Amino acid sequence: MDETEVKEYRWEGGYEKTWEEVKEDEVGNVEWSVKEIIEKSKRLLATRQPNVRLGMMRHLFVIVDSSNSMVEKDLKPTRQLCTYKLLQDFIQDYFDQNPISQLGLITTRNSSAERISELSGNRKYHLEELKKTFGDFNYCNGLMSVQNSLEIALSVMKMLPSHTSKEILIIGSSLSSCDPGEINTTIEMLKTNNIRVSMIHLAAEVRMFRHLCNETKGKHNVIVDDVHFKHILWSLVEPVPLPNSVDASCVKMGFPQELEQKPPFTTCSCHLAEGGKLNAKGFFCPQCNSKYCELPVECKCCGLILVSSLHLARSLHHLVPIKPFIKIELEEGSSAYCYGCRKRIKVPAENVYFCESCKKHYCDGCDIYVHNTLHVCPGCAVKRDEKR
Amino acid sequence: MQSETPKKIFSSLLVIILDVNPAQDTLLSGEIKLSSILSSVVAFANSHLMLRTHNKVAVLASDPNSCDFIYSDQDELDFKKKTVSSCKMGGSQYELFSHIDRSIKFNIVKFLKDAAEEPHMSRDTVFGASCAKALCYINRLQSNLFPGETMNSRILIISGCDNEGDKYIRCMNTFFTAQKQNVAIDVCSLTHDVTLLKQACYITEGSYFRMPKLEGLLLYLQWIFLTEPSSRKKLVIPLAPQLDFRPFCFCHGTLTAIGFVCSLCLTIYCKISPICTTCEAVFKVRSAIAVKPKKKKIKTTTVNN
Ligand SMILES: [Zn+2]
Ligand SMILES: [Zn+2]
Ligand SMILES: [Zn+2]
Ligand SMILES: [Zn+2]
Ligand SMILES: [Zn+2]
Ligand SMILES: [Zn+2]
Ligand SMILES: [Zn+2]
Repeated sequence: MDETEVKEYRWEGGYEKTWEEVKEDEVGNVEWSVKEIIEKSKRLLATRQPNVRLGMMRHLFVIVDSSNSMVEKDLKPTRQLCTYKLLQDFIQDYFDQNPISQLGLITTRNSSAERISELSGNRKYHLEELKKTFGDFNYCNGLMSVQNSLEIALSVMKMLPSHTSKEILIIGSSLSSCDPGEINTTIEMLKTNNIRVSMIHLAAEVRMFRHLCNETKGKHNVIVDDVHFKHILWSLVEPVPLPNSVDASCVKMGFPQELEQKPPFTTCSCHLAEGGKLNAKGFFCPQCNSKYCELPVECKCCGLILVSSLHLARSLHHLVPIKPFIKIELEEGSSAYCYGCRKRIKVPAENVYFCESCKKHYCDGCDIYVHNTLHVCPGCAVKRDEKR
Repeated sequence: MQSETPKKIFSSLLVIILDVNPAQDTLLSGEIKLSSILSSVVAFANSHLMLRTHNKVAVLASDPNSCDFIYSDQDELDFKKKTVSSCKMGGSQYELFSHIDRSIKFNIVKFLKDAAEEPHMSRDTVFGASCAKALCYINRLQSNLFPGETMNSRILIISGCDNEGDKYIRCMNTFFTAQKQNVAIDVCSLTHDVTLLKQACYITEGSYFRMPKLEGLLLYLQWIFLTEPSSRKKLVIPLAPQLDFRPFCFCHGTLTAIGFVCSLCLTIYCKISPICTTCEAVFKVRSAIAVKPKKKKIKTTTVNN
């Protein structure tokens, strides 16, 4: 393709890549199909079954392809920078929604792999390490090696106790992988350790990658454009159902109160590298009394995870998911008001949704908003009889 | 004939949640009448509309059984239809104000009549549901903006309630959603300090204010809540009270500094227990010892139950 050719639409670059997903026999309907893929990804979250056991304590390794294919410009401004930006948001969202979980980063380039951050619950640490490596626009080089990356993740995850949810996410850009051995032995190891591997591919579907995800019960996705990329990443922020073989556990955590010191003030442990900040206010570890200026943080001195009850509350919505609303037909000419936003729904031009537990009507927009963002059904929220 | 670049329009949407719970002791004791609170609310809504041409306002009434819009863009549409049909193009601002006044008073009577038919099973106003509806409304208006229009949205809760009984998770979900979407929740409390509402302000960076005495509601509203939250820093406004975010343990209900959290349902216990009484999970006792093996020497007090 001509390098200088300017693409008119953002998604145009996407649809040639996901050609497999777009029905070729209906070329006239291509635009419609692309829309459909994006629409589907938006509703992805709304379909979760209630009452499944979720792994609220997750250990996730993100493997980032840092091969030279990352310099392609089909994502704006480049695949690398687009991925970098979205990955930063992902790390923030991941810790917002999974306050007792950990994350680690692995990059793969020059046919080998490197662990750029250890498994930890410290979001700042990951963001800094990511910036030093993948954030540098000269970083991407050579070929990716999926097997080498998986082996690094495996060596750490093998040691983890059985009560955690173990996951790997690969963000891939190359169509091939430079592997030293037989990938199927690695897949077997992943399976015996209950590690789920998911992949987001920026270019196209590769059979071997799909096989890897299927075998380990992960998800495989090929993105259409940056918006779609973002939706898929967001869907992976949510905790996943836990295999039955996984045990529950009790995690020790500290809940420090913000206290004000009398002079002389001390410095905080979190900013020791920069000489420490002098602050009157601070959070003190209830176990070893180290001072921190921000929560959540893993105590540098005793390893206790320090949070406030708000951090836990932020992810509680995963435990009380809202049942999907059902689409209903109303008589033509009849009118309904959306119970959420008080929009007058024009029947039959617009869809009407119905919540089976509170018997209220909702519009299209509120259906998506309530399930994907708000996590509260306004109609059910006025009922008193429910537990939480 | 299309204009080349769409004009830049700034607007601000204010959603007022008015607590009309008859169990509020201010109302019970007759110290303040609902009608006088209502007039203050209407006057305050009008001041907000006068600040900028494109400003918008909506009002929700809320009690322990239900919450409903008593003024929304649907009522505004009725007004526009009427004024167009009677050939008074656009209608003067004064006419809009009296229309708002009429609609709110008409709708609140309807709301209270409906509410009177069902006995209240609880004394707690449904703040969670009200905020959820307000956010749905904001979300719809936000997605229907003109090209070039940007809109700030905020919620103001006016309440004389003293209760804390609304469902915690639901309320928190709405507060966190508001925060994520940059919707500040302001609270004007008539009498009591309500921790739940203080948390709403804290999370969304809104202002919390408790009236020192019951007179002068309108003045306080205009003094504190008329300016956008972003430009309030310049004003001298009472500071939000300090909040304690240590949790209460599920087993004894006491404040906990070091707790044990169930990895499946996040219930907090102050001691290790063999099973989780919320989700019935059985814990592996050993797993509670350390969260993460550290390379540095750890001086943890090991818990061996
Ligand atoms: Zn969620
Ligand atoms: Zn610090
Ligand atoms: Zn400590
Ligand atoms: Zn709606
Ligand atoms: Zn419902
Ligand atoms: Zn206890
Ligand atoms: Zn539990």
